[in-house]
Amino acid sequence: MSASAALTSANNYFEDFAPGDLWRHRRGKTVTEMDNVLLTNLVMNTAEGHFNEHAMQQGASGIFAQRVVFGGINLSMTLGLAAQDTAEQVLSEVSMTGIRLSNPVFHGDTLYAFTEVLSAAPSDREDAGLVTFRHYGINQDDKLCVQADRTALMKRRSHWGAA
Amino acid sequence: MSHETVVARLKAEAKPWPRGNRYEDFSPGRDFAHHWGRTVTEADNTLFSILTLNYNPQYTNAEIARANGHPTTPVNPLLVFNTVFGLSVEDLSEGGGPFLGVEDCEYLAPVFPGDTLTARSRVIDARESDKRPAFGIVTWATQGFNQRGEEVIRFRRTNLVRKRA
Repeated sequence: MSASAALTSANNYFEDFAPGDLWRHRRGKTVTEMDNVLLTNLVMNTAEGHFNEHAMQQGASGIFAQRVVFGGINLSMTLGLAAQDTAEQVLSEVSMTGIRLSNPVFHGDTLYAFTEVLSAAPSDREDAGLVTFRHYGINQDDKLCVQADRTALMKRRSHWGAA
Repeated sequence: MSHETVVARLKAEAKPWPRGNRYEDFSPGRDFAHHWGRTVTEADNTLFSILTLNYNPQYTNAEIARANGHPTTPVNPLLVFNTVFGLSVEDLSEGGGPFLGVEDCEYLAPVFPGDTLTARSRVIDARESDKRPAFGIVTWATQGFNQRGEEVIRFRRTNLVRKRA
């Protein structure tokens, strides 16, 4: 048994995921001004459409009349909302593709995450396998905001789980 | 001079400092070495991981990170992605235009607190938009490197990019 098994869930190892499984994650998150401005500035994204409310009200973007949440945050929040269930046993993230941000997120909008298992396959390590997920993020009005495919190297219960 | 006069002069006479590129600037093959770089700290990693509810404990619990075979907490790969993306924005997308997609994002090496990320991009495609004549569609290949010059992430990003007025 690994040191982490006592501190994490018992139902989200490699063996627990089968292609076709579709999950709704338990919690949503209201994306606040704090989340957007803090994280946009933290990663030094210089696009003021994410942090200059006055310019947006003046029509600077030509599209939105208020700050819009940086898409990298929408992606990260969706994958974060899915993380306890689909990343708690992950040793390393491998790749992402098919990232689409199909609807803007504004301060005060709430994101909910869903996940579909696309594949589960052995890796070159006997103690872990590769799982590919398709993650979805929708807002409070049921608009699809985020979609992304993600592959991660996940612990096998046989090697890492509680005895 | 009154304050009103000072402000009136600023608004009438100051030249706007140029920032950001437009569609016409993105010839395929053009390379950009993006500004600044960013040393990622443990505080960045913890703050990013908890604000995004990313409950893989190896980003917030150093003992679990070590038990998982890492020397210490690895930087959350989504923070690596967002940082390299963020550093690229002034050159690539600040000129205006919505995000269309990211493909083929690969994490090539782990990043640890104290590592310094830098970003580079190359224009790989630029074409007209049939639906939006004021914009073009540009795809860039972006790479992130650590302080030893090792590539840690790569991805392709596509945006609508505003044309010059």
